[in-house]
This record gives sequence, C-alpha cells and structure tokens, in this order.
Amino acid sequence: MGTKMANLDSAQKLLGVPPPPDGVGGGSCSGISTELIRSLTELQELEAVYQRLCGEEKVVERELDALLEQQNTIESKMVTLHRMGPNLQLIEGDAKQLAGMITFTCSLAENVSSKVRQLDLAKNRLYQAIQRADDILDLKFCMDGVQTALRNEDYEQAAAHIHRYLCLDKSVIELSRQGKEGSVIDANLKLLQEAEQRLKAIVTEKFAIATKEGDLPQVERFFKIFPLLGLHEEGLSKFSEYLCKQVASKAEENLLLVLGTDMSDRRAAVIFADTLTLLFEGIARIVETHQPIVETYYGPGRLYTLIKYLQVECDRQVEKVVDKFIKQRDYHQQFRRVQNNLMRNSASEKIEPRELDPILTEVTLMNARSELYLRFLRKRISSDFEVGDSMASEEVKQEHQKSLDKLLNNCLLSCTMQELIGLYITMEEYFMRETVNKAVALDTYEKGQLTSSMVDDVFYIVKKCIGRALSSSSIDCLCAMINLATTELESDFRDVLCNKLRMGFPATTFQDIQRGVTSAVNIMHSSLQQGKFDTKGIESTDEAKLSFLVTLNNVEVCSENISTLKKTLESDCTKLFSQGIGGEQAQAKFDSCLSDLVAVSNKFRDLLQEGLMELNSTAIKPQVQPWINTFLSVSHNIEEEEFNDYEANDPWVQQFILNLEQQMAEFKASLSPVIYDSLTSLMTSLVAVELEKVVLKSTFNRLGGLQFDKELRSLIAYLTTVTTWTIRDKFARLSQMATVLNLERVTEILDYWGANSGPLTWRLTPAEVRQVLALRIDFRSEDIKRLRL
Amino acid sequence: MRSSVMPLGPTVSRDRIITSFPKWYTPAACLQLREHFHGQVSAACQHRNTGTVGLKLSKVVVVGDLYVGKTSLIHRFCKNVFDRDYKATIGVDFEMERFEVAGIPFSLQIWDTAGQEKFKCIASAYYRGAQVIITAFDLTDMQTLEHTRQWLEDALRENEPGTCFLFLVGTKKDLLSGAACEQAEVEAVRLANEMQAEYWSVSAKTGENVKAFFSRVAALAFEHSVLQDLERRSSARPQVGDGDIIRMEEHLPETQDSKRPSSPGCC
Repeated sequence: MGTKMANLDSAQKLLGVPPPPDGVGGGSCSGISTELIRSLTELQELEAVYQRLCGEEKVVERELDALLEQQNTIESKMVTLHRMGPNLQLIEGDAKQLAGMITFTCSLAENVSSKVRQLDLAKNRLYQAIQRADDILDLKFCMDGVQTALRNEDYEQAAAHIHRYLCLDKSVIELSRQGKEGSVIDANLKLLQEAEQRLKAIVTEKFAIATKEGDLPQVERFFKIFPLLGLHEEGLSKFSEYLCKQVASKAEENLLLVLGTDMSDRRAAVIFADTLTLLFEGIARIVETHQPIVETYYGPGRLYTLIKYLQVECDRQVEKVVDKFIKQRDYHQQFRRVQNNLMRNSASEKIEPRELDPILTEVTLMNARSELYLRFLRKRISSDFEVGDSMASEEVKQEHQKSLDKLLNNCLLSCTMQELIGLYITMEEYFMRETVNKAVALDTYEKGQLTSSMVDDVFYIVKKCIGRALSSSSIDCLCAMINLATTELESDFRDVLCNKLRMGFPATTFQDIQRGVTSAVNIMHSSLQQGKFDTKGIESTDEAKLSFLVTLNNVEVCSENISTLKKTLESDCTKLFSQGIGGEQAQAKFDSCLSDLVAVSNKFRDLLQEGLMELNSTAIKPQVQPWINTFLSVSHNIEEEEFNDYEANDPWVQQFILNLEQQMAEFKASLSPVIYDSLTSLMTSLVAVELEKVVLKSTFNRLGGLQFDKELRSLIAYLTTVTTWTIRDKFARLSQMATVLNLERVTEILDYWGANSGPLTWRLTPAEVRQVLALRIDFRSEDIKRLRL
Repeated sequence: MRSSVMPLGPTVSRDRIITSFPKWYTPAACLQLREHFHGQVSAACQHRNTGTVGLKLSKVVVVGDLYVGKTSLIHRFCKNVFDRDYKATIGVDFEMERFEVAGIPFSLQIWDTAGQEKFKCIASAYYRGAQVIITAFDLTDMQTLEHTRQWLEDALRENEPGTCFLFLVGTKKDLLSGAACEQAEVEAVRLANEMQAEYWSVSAKTGENVKAFFSRVAALAFEHSVLQDLERRSSARPQVGDGDIIRMEEHLPETQDSKRPSSPGCC
C-alpha cells in the first residue's frame, strides 16, 4: 500500500498538479472552526462567516473536480506499472547470475596471478642464484687468473682480474663466505687480497722504475693499470709527477739557452716572452697527447686533476723565468725610476721613454701568451667536465666551475702576470705622457699644412700605447690604458691647446688704427700706409695669428681623431670579445671606458667653438663693425636723381662685400673647410645683427627704402655664395625690415600682416614693425599709431 | 658630462624603485639632512623635465683595504648573495644596477677595485670621472679605517675637486656587539666629518643596511645629476637672445646644440 501511495504522490507531481494553496481547501484546513461558529451571536457576523464558508466550499469543489479529472490518467499509469512487474523480476534474476559469474572469474584470476607472482619470484631468485654462482665462479677464476698472470708478469691481465673482483658486490662475497665452503672461499679471498696488494706494489715500483728510466711506453703501460686497481688519484699524481719532470728539464734547458743568447739576436728583445711561449706550448702539447689516454682509462672529468698537478710545475717554471726577466731587464728598477719621475716631476735622471719601449712590448707579449695558455686550459677542462657532468646535478656543475675558476685565477702564473701588468700600466702611462710632452715640445708647422705636427704625433703615440695594452689581451689593462689616455688627452693635451688659444688672436696694428678711426677715407688712407709700420711687430703678430688658426685646426682634428680612435678600438675589440676574453663584464667595462673617451671628443669640440667665438669677436667684429657703420654715412633719404646716381656709383654695399671677401680670404686659406664654414656662419650672424642696429639708427624715404632693399639683396646674394649654410633665416628679420621700409602707405602693411601674411612668418614684433615704420620720414606717426597690429 | 645611452632593457625590479628620499644613517655624519627631494628636482620629475638624466648613469667607485669586504658589499646588493670564501679581486670588477628614482630611470655603474697593493696601479686608472666614491673599512679592524684617508686621497686625485659624493662605509657590522659597534662608529664619524663624507655601517653577511645605503647613494647621485642638468640648461637659456651672434639660431631645430657647430660635415 505504502508504495502505491508514494506512486500516486509522485504521479501527481509528474502531472504537474499544483499542491493546494496553504490555508485554503482540505476539510480540516478551514480557518473557521465549529467552536468559532457556535460562539457567534450577531447575525452580521454569522452572515460573514457563512459567506466565507460558501467561498471555501466552492474552492474545495473545484479542487475535487480537478482531482477527479486526473483519475483516468492515474489509472492507466497503474495498469502500465502492473504490466511491468514480471519484467522486473526477470531482470533481477539475470543480474544475480551476472554477479555470480563475475565473482567466480575474479577468484580464478587471483588464483592464476598469485601463481605467476610466485613464478616471477622464483625466477628472480634463480637469476640471483645464477649471478652469485657466476660471481663465485668469477672470484675463483680471478683468483686463479691473478696467480697465473702474476706468475707470467702479465700485469694487465692481473689488473683486469683484480678490477673484476673490485667490481663484485661486496655483500655477495660476504654471503658466499657464510656458505658451506666458507673456509675455502675465505682462503681464496685472502689470496686475492694479497694478490691485489702485491700487484699494487709491483705496479707502483715498475712505474717508478719506468719514470726513472724515462721509458714512455712502460710509463704509459702502468699508468693505464692504476685505474683498474681503483688508484685513479695515485695514478694521475704519479703520472703528472713524471710529466712535470719532463716539463722542468725542458724549461731549464730553455732558460739556459736564454741566458746564453746573444743580445744581437733577432728575438733578443722578446726572449723571455719566447721562453714562456715554449713552456706553455710544451705543456699544451703534453695535455694534447695524454688527454685521450686519461679520458679512455680514467674516464671524463679527470683532466682537471692532471692539469692541477701540471700547473704547479708550470707555476714553478714561470716563477723562474719571470725572476730572470725581472733581474735581467731591471724591471723593478725601471718601475721605481718611472715612479720617481712621475711623482716628483724632477729633472734628475729622467728616463728616456724610448728606452722603455722594448720592455713594455715584451711584458704585453708575455701576458698575451699566458692569457692564451690559460684560455686553452679553461677550454679543455670545461669541455672535459661537460662530458663527465652531463648527468650531474646543477650543484656539482657549479662546484666544478668554481674549482676551475679557482685553479686558473689563483695560480701563480695569473698572479705574477697581474703584478707585471700592474707595473706595466704605470710605465706605459709614463711612456705616453713623456712622449706626448716631447711631441708638444717639438711641434712644428709646415707652410701649406692646416695642422701642426703635434696632433698627428700625439695621436700616433696614444694609439700606439692603447694598441700595446690591447696586445696584452687583458681587458682590465686595456681599459686602464684607455682611461689613462682619456685623462692625458682631456687634461694635459687639451690644456696645451687651450693655452695656445688663450693667447688670443692678436689685433693687428692695422686694426688698432681702424678702431680709432671712423671715416672710410681715413681707413683707405691708413691701409695705403700700412707698409710704413714696424715690420718686425707685424711678423710676430702674423706668427701669433697663424699659431691661433693652426691651433683651431688642431683642435678640430683632435676631436675627429678621437672619434676615429674609438671606432678602430671598437672593431679591434670585437675580435677579442668573440674569442671570449675577459669574462662576462668585459664588454660592459670596455664600452664604459670608451664612452668616457668619446666625451673628450666633445670637449675638444666645445674648445673649438670657444676659439671660433674668440676669433669672431677679436678679429672679425672690430673690422666688420666700422664697415657696417659707414652705412650710416650714406643717406637713405634720397631723390630720384640720387637713386639713379647710386645705381651707377654704389655708395656702400659693393665696398662692404669687397672688404668682407678680402678678410675672409685670409681665413679660408688657413682654416680647415669645416672650421671656415663655422666661422663664416658666425660672421654672417654678426653682420645680420650689426646691420640691424645701424638700420634702426637711419632714416629712410620711399626711394631710400628701395635702395636699402637693393643693397640687402646683393649682400644676401653674396653671402649665399660663400656659405654652405642657409643664411636666409639669419637675414629674415632684415628682409622683413626692408619689406616694411618699402611700403607705399602705412596701411599697406596690413596686406602682409596677420591673416594676410600667407606663408610669411613675421620675425618682427608689432612694436618693432611700428619702430621700423617710424624710420620712414614720410610716414606720419599718427598713422602708425592708428595701425592695428 | 659623462654619459652614455643605455639600451632600454626590461623594467626596473620593484625593490629598486625609490619614491621617497632615503634617510641618512646618522645625522652626525651625512651629506644632507633633507628628507625629501629638492623642490626643483621633484618638480622636474613630475613634469618629466629631467632632460637626459633618464638615460644617464653615475659612476661609483669603491675603494678600501683588501679583505674589508668591498666585493661582498656589492655582491650582496647586486646579486643578493654572500660567499664565505674570500676571493681577492683582480684588477677591477664592474656591476651595473638599474633604479627608478621618483619615476625616472637611473643607473649606477659600480666599479669594484682591488684592495691589494700590487693591483693598485691598474685599479687607480679607473678612479677618474667618478660621481660617487665609497671608501670602505672593516669595523673590526681600526687600522683599515686609518687607511681610508690614503684611499680617498688617491681617488680624489683623479677627479676634479667638489664633483664627487663621498661615503665612508664600515663593513662586517654583524661581527660586533652593539656597544663595540657604537665605539667604532664614534671614531669613524669623526673621520667622516673630516673627509666631508657620509657615514654608514653595514653588513654584507646579514644584508643589514646594504639596500638602504645604495638607495641613498642612488638618490643623492640622481638628485645631483638632475640639478646639474637643470642648472646647465638654465644657464644656457639666458644666453639665447642676449644679442650675441650665435644665439640667433634660437629658432633653429638644433637649439640645444647651439653650443656646438652643427654642420653635418664635421662629424
């Protein structure tokens, strides 16, 4: 029954019949109880309750109707359900059967697999048993083999047996001893261990004999046996001992040869560098020849050990060579003398820089050779480590890298070379400074040249010194030298040029007179009399003039040379960096030092500009100013007749242009084109500014304005031919003034002003336009005032 | 001006961003007491009007006796590592550290010199053109403090007077007790004042004060660079239109270069 009710309930839900609303319907659910009705006494209330009850009844009836309507569908559903009953029973039976089958299969499978597992275990044990039997057989075979091999002096064979024995699992041997034949095996083992000891002793002894006799095949033979006996370290150390002896004897031979070298020998100047080279080449050859043996018999990653031993001997030999070098070349003595010279600047026993030349070259060569050698070692060792560490953890790799760095950076060779280079830097600095000073002192100027000899000389020296530092292959040394060269150029050499410019461009007597005289006639007169002046004075001022101009050229070439030097160094060093010299920061260091050097180029450029300004204000301005001032003496308040006369007999501009041309010709001949260009640019700016001043001091009428316009046009036309720069811009204000002075009426300006200006950009302010308009005497000031600009 | 254009790399890491002015270590020996950026500088930074400072770097040179911990100090700051093994610096080492100060990118180029006497010849060639000189000594070894005078003198010889910020740094602070440290500092502060340097105590092992110290260095160097740049530009401005010849070019595009001849043929 219960299920049926549930079914009904769910069927209702399925049909989507809404449950009766709360509080309404359902007999007992009526909100009005019988007691309530009974207690009612008022008719009104009774009627109200009755109304409500009627309403409720209607609702209940509607619900009942709805429920009854569903009866049919529910009944048909029930029929279907009844029909499904037998089918369900069938399914249940099938399911039970299936479950039974599965359980059976499962137990069967477990049964089978447990057997397989047992079999597997058995197989494994069998294998282990076979392995152990093999091991024991091996052990026996080894015991027998070792004995016979030793008897036959076949040490390779014996070592191979021992190696096999050492490779055996120790626990296996331990287990076999516990077996029934324990005592036999024990005895055999003892024999084997004895044989091992004996073999070790024999090999060590034979190796010692072989090394003593220098019998390389025998040495190599026993060297190969050591790793079989587990004596890797010992083998390497003994073998390197042998190699070291060879290195030492060869090096001593070489050193003796050096001491006996004739000073006239072609290589005498670099004999110590050559000796070091021989030493390094010898060691490199040893590494090359023996690396395969070490790799094959000792495994990868062992080269480091071999080289570590070899480096000790190398250091010893380097020390000897360098000691001899220091003694024979008086290296420390030279350094002390240089230091004294640098410190005290005293003239006493000054070293001739040329004397230092060979020793400096030799030191850099020595350093270059050792850098090359160390780079070779680094490459070999790290590639050997790489092979060995291919499976190793990052930590092991880092540890190896660290020990490699330590070996190469802290070896005596590195330290000794660093010390030599440290002293070298100071001596090279001295060499550079002294030679530069000498070049400055011997400065000569040849006629027809733009620059004097010292610029080329100084840059030759600087290039040479930096080039030598570069040839040492040490980035620190190179960068230090670049820094020192930068200082030398920036302070000492720039000061030399600066002082020359400070002396100034002398004002000639010719100019002195000009300054005091205003009339053009007098100028002509005095220039005719020029020959009468003291020629000696003129000569020396001519010299001073020339010196100033040459110095200007020098400064320019300096700044250019520095840029060239930078470019050359850059391209030279890319080669060096591509070889991986100088660690990760080398490039950054180099770039930083180079940028300092380039900054000096700009300082020279600034100096050039200063010099040009000086030239402009002392040489050009005093001359140009009076020429321009004569503009004032030419009336621009003229009638038709005068205007026509001016056309035939130019009153000002032609003479002015002629003067300018003459004056600039002097500079054009003795200044480089670039500087001359800058100078003419300065000159045109000066002309523009000065001319503007005098125009504002003059008065014009209509024809005068036209005259000025003509004059300005021919001036601009001339200046355009002499400058490569556009000068229109510089003369823009003057051209606009000419336009204003050329107007018919005051109001005509409005055709050009403001909205009507078109492409023209006014450089004159409204106030200035008014000021220029006022220069026209024929314009009324009220008209000008009335203008709206 | 010592400057070089830096490649515009990735953005600056967060702990290299300096927004407020880092404080001094002790007011008894510091280069300036202000705790905020110079008014002109912060205004310039706000308006991104710092000229070329953003592309600039300041050169820092670290000098001092061997084994006082110059390399350790720099490595702690630049790589945040501390290696117990002593490894003598050969010649010079070099680190570049990028900052962002008040929103403007700025770099310190730190030159780590060798303290050993035998490498001094090479190292001293690198002193020139430094904006900041850091003289380091070992707080546990007062002898090294005495030597800082000589180191400073050597470094200053290669630079124009008054162009460098000086710092005196006591290292290995972790090895001293509080009282012992204070005692050592009294002496150091006295010397710092004499040198006109700013004093700091640091420990590369624990990292104490290391970041604060370099931030202070960066901020001071940056501020100086910006001020110098502003000054240069403002001193260049009045010349324009002064009636002198060259300033006529005011309206030309190459205004900034007006001090140089900008003809294309001269480069």
